[in-house]
Amino acid sequence: MKYFIAFLAILAPASAVLGNQVALDSEVFVERSAEQADGTITVTLEEPERVVPGDNLVFVLTYENTGAEPAENFVVTNPIPDAVVFAEAVDGGAVYSVDDGTTFGLLTELHITNESGVERAAQAADVTHIRWTLTEPIAAGATGQLRFHGVVR
Amino acid sequence: MKIMTKYLVSVSGITLAALATSPAYAAGTDAGSSITNTVSVGYQVGGVDQSDIAAADTFTVDRAVNVIVAELGNATTTVSPGQDDAVTTFDVTNETNGYVDIALAVSQLVGGTAAHGGTDSFDVSNVRIYEDDGDGSFDAGDTLVTFLDEMDNGETRRVFILADVALGLATGSVADVELTGTAREGNAGTTGGAVGAAITATTGGDTAGVDTVFADSDGVFDGIAFDDDDYTVQAAALSALKGSTLLAVNYPIAGATEFYNIPGATIEYCIAVSNASGGADATSVAISDTIPGTTTFVTSSIVIGGTAVIDDNGTPANTADDVLTSCDNTAGSAGGSFSAGTVSATIGTVTAGTTEIVTFRATID
Repeated sequence: MKYFIAFLAILAPASAVLGNQVALDSEVFVERSAEQADGTITVTLEEPERVVPGDNLVFVLTYENTGAEPAENFVVTNPIPDAVVFAEAVDGGAVYSVDDGTTFGLLTELHITNESGVERAAQAADVTHIRWTLTEPIAAGATGQLRFHGVVR
Repeated sequence: MKIMTKYLVSVSGITLAALATSPAYAAGTDAGSSITNTVSVGYQVGGVDQSDIAAADTFTVDRAVNVIVAELGNATTTVSPGQDDAVTTFDVTNETNGYVDIALAVSQLVGGTAAHGGTDSFDVSNVRIYEDDGDGSFDAGDTLVTFLDEMDNGETRRVFILADVALGLATGSVADVELTGTAREGNAGTTGGAVGAAITATTGGDTAGVDTVFADSDGVFDGIAFDDDDYTVQAAALSALKGSTLLAVNYPIAGATEFYNIPGATIEYCIAVSNASGGADATSVAISDTIPGTTTFVTSSIVIGGTAVIDDNGTPANTADDVLTSCDNTAGSAGGSFSAGTVSATIGTVTAGTTEIVTFRATID
C-alpha cells in the first residue's frame, strides 16, 4: 500500500536552469527476525502490509541523479513520522534535530530541556528529523541509498 | 519488493508537512492509522540551487490484539468459614491498539497448586464478576458484568470476583479462582449492547487494509489472558475445658483447716475457652453451663476474664488431652447471668493463641 504523492510545480523555479534532475524514492520495510531450526537468527525485510505497534521499520531513501550534470551540496532531510520512534541511522554522517528541525547536530551534542528547565542529553527517541549532507557531488547517473531504523509507536 | 520511482516536484522553499499524524496511545498507534514518511532533498547543479524534491511513503498500522489480566496485590484473600461476598481484585488491560470488548469468565482450580502457593482444596460458590465504578475498591456502585464494554487502546479497568465460602472449612483451606479475559470485537468506542463477536486473526496473506494479528504477552496467540488468585480460610479453632476448686469461704464448719466436698461447701467452677494459634480471632464468644442438680448457684458469682494454666500433656497440637490446672480470675470482672439452672456469660473476642476464662460459684446441697 503506497500512496503515490505527486506535487506539481506551481511556479517554474527561476534558478533551476537545468530542470529537475534528481529522482527520489522513499520506502519503508518491516524488519522481521526469525529463529531458524539451527539456532541462527535471520532478518528479513518485508513490505509494510502487516505492521503493528512495536514493529521494527527500516526507512530506505533511494536517490538517482538522472541529469547530465553532477548534483552538489546534496542535503536529504527526513522528518520522523509522529507514530514512529527513531532508533538509529544505518548510514553514517547523519545529523539530527530534536526540536522539529530548527537546529541540527550530532546526537551527542544535542540536549532536551524539560518544562522545569532541567537539561538532559538527547536520546534517539527524541529525534524529530534526520539529515544527511553529502560531501561529494553525485555524478550523473549515480545512485545511492540512505537508511535508518525506527519502531512503530 | 516493488520499486516505484517517484518524481516529485515542489516549489523551492516549500517544505512538506507531515501528511498524517497519529496520536500515540499506551498500547501503540491506533490500528488503521496511516504512517507517512516524507523525505526532502535540496541540491545544487553547477553551483546553482535546484528545486527541492520530496518523496513519501505511507502504510497503515494493523491491529495487534493483546489483553492482560493481572491479579492485584499478589497475596491470598483471607476468608472466614461461611463468609459471603469474599472479594478478590484483578486489573484487566486492553493492550490492543484499538477498541475491543473483553469477555470475562471465572473458573476454579480442582486440586493442584493455587496462585499463592497453597494446594487448592475447595471451591467457592455463587461466583460473580463486578466492574469497578472507578474508586478502585468494591462497593455498592460497582456493576455486575460478564464483559468489559469498549476497552480503549491501553485502558485498564478493575474487576472484582465475589464468591461465597462454605461453613465448616478448616484453617488453611484454599480455593483458587482464575479470571479469564477474551478479546472480542469492539464497536469503535460506542458502548452498549451485547459483547462483540469473536476476533479472528487475518490469515492467508497480508492485505493492504487493517489486518488483525494476535500479539498476546503470554506467548499464546489467541487474544485470551488469565490470572489466578486464591482464597485462604482462617477459621477459629475453639476448645473449652472445665475444672472446679473447693473453696474455704463460707465453709460450713467454722475453724476448719482441711476442706472436703461436704454439703454447704462452696465450689468454684472455671470454664476456659482457648482459640488455637494460627487461626482467626473468634468474636462474640459466649458460654452457657448448666450447673449440677445437687448444687445451688451463688448469686452474682460469675466473673468473666482472668488467666488459666493449662497442661497440654506435651502435645500442643492436640487439645483433647489438655487438662485445666488452675484458674485466676482476679483480673476478671463480674457479669453474666443465671437463669433456670444455667449460667450464661459472654466472653467476646478470643484472640488466636489465647485463652479466656469464666468462673462462677455454687454450694453443695
